[in-house]
This record gives sequence, structure tokens and C-alpha cells, in this order.
Amino acid sequence: MKFSALIKNRTALAGTIITCIFLLAVVFGPMISPWASGGFDFLNVLKPPSWQHPFGTDSLGRDVATRVLEGARISLMISVSGVLGAMILGITAGLFAGYKGGWFDAIVMRIVDLFFAFPAFVLALFLMVALGFGVTNVALAIMLVYLPLFARITRNTTGIVRNDAYVQAARVMGQSTPRILFREILPNISAPILVQASVAVAFGIVIESGLSFIGLGVQPPTPSLGVIMADGQEYFRRAPWVLTLTGLTVTVALLALNLLGDGLRDLADPRLKARDA
Amino acid sequence: MPPHESQLMPQGLKYFLTRFIGALITMLVGTIVVFFVMKAAPGDPALVVLGDFATPETIARFNSDQGLDQPELIQYFNWLSGIVHFDFGQSLSVSKGEDIGDLIAYRLPSTFIIGIYALTIAICLSLILGTLAATKRGTLVDTGATSLAVLGVSMPDFWLGYMLILGLSIGLGWFPSYGFVRPSASVIGALHSGFLPALAIAAPMAAVFTRTLRTSLIENLDRDHVRVALSFGHTGRFIFLHHVFRNSIIPYIVVIGLQIRYLLGGVVIIERIFGINGIGSLMVEAAFARDYYVVQACAVVFLGVVLTVNFAVDLICASLDPRRAR
Repeated sequence: MKFSALIKNRTALAGTIITCIFLLAVVFGPMISPWASGGFDFLNVLKPPSWQHPFGTDSLGRDVATRVLEGARISLMISVSGVLGAMILGITAGLFAGYKGGWFDAIVMRIVDLFFAFPAFVLALFLMVALGFGVTNVALAIMLVYLPLFARITRNTTGIVRNDAYVQAARVMGQSTPRILFREILPNISAPILVQASVAVAFGIVIESGLSFIGLGVQPPTPSLGVIMADGQEYFRRAPWVLTLTGLTVTVALLALNLLGDGLRDLADPRLKARDA
Repeated sequence: MPPHESQLMPQGLKYFLTRFIGALITMLVGTIVVFFVMKAAPGDPALVVLGDFATPETIARFNSDQGLDQPELIQYFNWLSGIVHFDFGQSLSVSKGEDIGDLIAYRLPSTFIIGIYALTIAICLSLILGTLAATKRGTLVDTGATSLAVLGVSMPDFWLGYMLILGLSIGLGWFPSYGFVRPSASVIGALHSGFLPALAIAAPMAAVFTRTLRTSLIENLDRDHVRVALSFGHTGRFIFLHHVFRNSIIPYIVVIGLQIRYLLGGVVIIERIFGINGIGSLMVEAAFARDYYVVQACAVVFLGVVLTVNFAVDLICASLDPRRAR
């Protein structure tokens, strides 16, 4: 997949640009914001959006826009670390299962089937009760929700390429199995995995914000997007902008990640693009 | 004699049995995982019920009453044999002492109704949008429908729920923002009070269905047999219904089956927001109250529902396209 191709694909380009702007805002926004984190201002409680406070203020007079950027940083970190963990374990299991087959494959796929039979959010909720609430455990729950997905995709694509000429060549040259798996096969099947990764990060954010929104995920005072929205829900009728604008930010971020995923999918499989055009 | 009849068992029956046994094994392994993960969880059921200041004697008495002093494997088999009779034990804290089976039986109908309501809305929306997008490919209608679909999967369902409350309930006053009228009290009341939650759950699903239907329809519109039918002078409507739609419907049904997981996930959080007394809100309440038995029971019920739906979808697809059963 070439960078020039990414630029030519309008969906991928739009997704990339919005994702980059979002990332820049999340990384640098809180630093350049005039409203310091945690700065209470009881004279400006629940003020509607204005030039000074584009997202208004919350019940403690804090600037919601700054909090959203800080919260997005935490939510994104949770989702990315969960998805990365899922990728490392899922891809490894999938590679071995797809390449070796046999009983290992059978066991891995049974476990995957089991995980797939649980609704993702129910599984996450169940794990939160079992693990306890908090930042690390939300990331762990996201990891366990997405692990089977990566295991399945990797296993299926590995099964397709395992007898390709280049894999056979590597085998004949006497390369070790891990080397064949990670140096020969993985680079060639990375496209569908990357597509899933961008979508998984998006849904990881949804899982985090959903769990924290009902109070079973990240706990205040740590501001995650879900915590801020839960806060906004409490005075929704008086100050609807807190929940509305925070959710809108989440929607835009997810939209960007989904567009990026769609674009990557088109690039990975030009046949789909030709069909959709 | 066709080859399949020479075998001991007809292909269809064999397929049915393999799927059924597969689902049963998954269910069994699922109960093992649910039970032992919950056992490993920090926290003690005795302390949930008796409070932090319970004496060792009262804790020991509670554990022996509940059978918690037995080996874990025995506890598991007791629990499993209860489940087979829809007996999940008694609630620890969320509805103290009440039979969990009764709690679930009371809560399940609301969840089913909201779920089916949401599914109906999602299917109706996607049939219209997907067909429009595929038949008017490349036009503004297509772009609009596809964009709407991407937007649909990008909105967190609970946020959409609040936006619907803001617009249609607080703003226009058309729908209630809280509570659900049980259909046994009034069917119209149920449809009216369930509309906003059902729509919030339906939106992301409708988006996924629309995309699947569109891709699948486009794929089949380009097929050779459609061109042949056109050259025979059949009308567009006839070809669409008999040659394109029929063939496109299987991936669509498969995706509906897969989305049941998301539907049930959405139900959990949406029930909580709209104050619907369903099994999703029961699970959240139990999670807060550290009622491990109820959380366990809810997880098993959700697993059972998903496996049943997946099994049904497999059978429907196999009956629509018998090649799948081979």
C-alpha cells in the first residue's frame, strides 16, 4: 500500500486528515488551551457555548472543550492500548493456528467462537464486574473483546497464503516457523488486519465511553470522554451542550476512523473499489 | 440416485445436528468461563449480603447455606443443573432473596420487544436506503444513503439516544423521554414509549444493513444472468425481484444474524438511559450492587439468546441456499 495511493483515495484522505487534526488537537490542545485542567470557576457555572468557551462550561465552571481534549487523550490511549494488546496476542495466535492447523487451530477457533457469541458490550460489562472498574481494566476489557476478532482474521488469511510460492520457498530454505510467520506471512496479510485495527480503535472508544457513561468504566475525577458525558447527562436538561458537544466530538472522531478504515479497505482490495465506483 | 441419498443421513439433518451440537458445546464452555471468571473475581458474595462487618461465624453459615464451602467443581455442576431448569439461584443484593429466574422472566419480555422493534426499524430503513443506493448507483441518492450509513455507525448509540430525547421529547414533546409501557398494558403505549430507544439501537444496525445490502445488490446487478434476463426483455422490476434481490438476501440475513450481538449490547445501555425494566438494565443494576449471581445469570441468558439466533440464521440460510448445508 503506497502513500500516493492513500492520497488519491478520497475517502481514505478525508479520514486521514480528520484523524490527524483530531490527534494534533488531542496532543497539543490541552497545552495551548488558556483554561488549565481542573480549574474551577464558580462564577461561570453551566455557561452556554461562547467565543471564550466554545463548548460552554460544566457544573464546576470548567471549560468543556479543554476537558474533552483531555478526555479524548485518555479514551484514545485506553482504546489504542487495548487494541494493540488484542493485535499482539490475536495475531500471534491466528498466525500459528492458520499455519499449523490441527488441534491448536481447533482449540483457538472454539475459543474465538465462544467470544463471538457474547455481545461485545455485555462481555465488556461482565469483565468490568470480574476485574473491577478503572482505566487499566477498561483497556483489558477492550483487549479481550477484540482479541478473537484479530485471531480470526489472521487465521483465515494465513490459511489462504500458507501454501503460496514465497512461503514454500522460505520453508525449503529452512527458515524457522516464527520467522516464516512474522517475516514472510505477516507483512503480506497486514492489509485486512490494519483495516480492522482502525475500526477496532473506533469501537474501543465507544466501549470505553459506554462503560464510563453508565459508571462502570473509568472513574471520576479522571476525565475520559465517557466520564464527561456521564457528567453532562446529570444536568442534561439545564445544560444540554456538555453531553451534545462531547458526543459530537466522539462522532466526528469515529467518523474519521471509519472513513480511514473504508479507504484502507478499498486500497487493500481494489476489486471492491471498482465494484463500488 | 443422487450421491447424498446414498449416505446414512440426509445432508440437511446432518447439517442441523452439527450446528446444534456445536451451539450446545459453545453454550457449555460459555457457562464454564462465566462461572470460573466470576469465581476468580475479587469480592465475596457473603460480604455483599452480610456487609463488611459480618463475623466469621455468620460468613461461614452463609457459605454453607449457599453451598459455597463445597469444591468449586461441585458448585459449578450444581449451578449448571439449576440453569437447565431455569433456576439461577437467588439474588444477593439487587433484589435480595428473590429468585433470579423470576427476575429474568419478568424482565426479558421488555428486552425482546425493544429488540424486535429496533430490528424491524433497522430492516425497514435499510431495505429502502440499500435498494435506493444500489439502483441509483453513483447519483446523489447513493452518496446520501452511503454517507448516512457511515454516520450511522459512527454515532455512539447512547449519545444518539440523548439527542433523540433532546429533539423529539424535550423539544417537540412527541415521545416520552423515560419509562416503557409494557405491551400487556397497552400495545400502542408500548410502540409509542419504545420508539426512541428502539430507534437509537436501530440506527447503527440500519447503517450496517444498508451497506451490506447495497454491496450485495450491486454485485448481483452486474452478474451475467441479469444481463441474459434483460436481453430476454424482462422488465427491470421483475429482474430485480426475481434475479437480483433473491440472490442478495443471503449475505443480508447473515449480517442481521451477526448484528444481534450489537443489538443486545446496545440494549444494555439504552435500557438504562430510557428507564426500561429489561434484562440489560438488570445486568447494569446487578453490576453496581455487586450481585455476582445476577450478573452471571444475565451473561448466560445473553449467550443463550445469541447462540439461538445464530442457529436460526444458519438454518434459514441453509434452506434458502442448500449449497451452504454441504
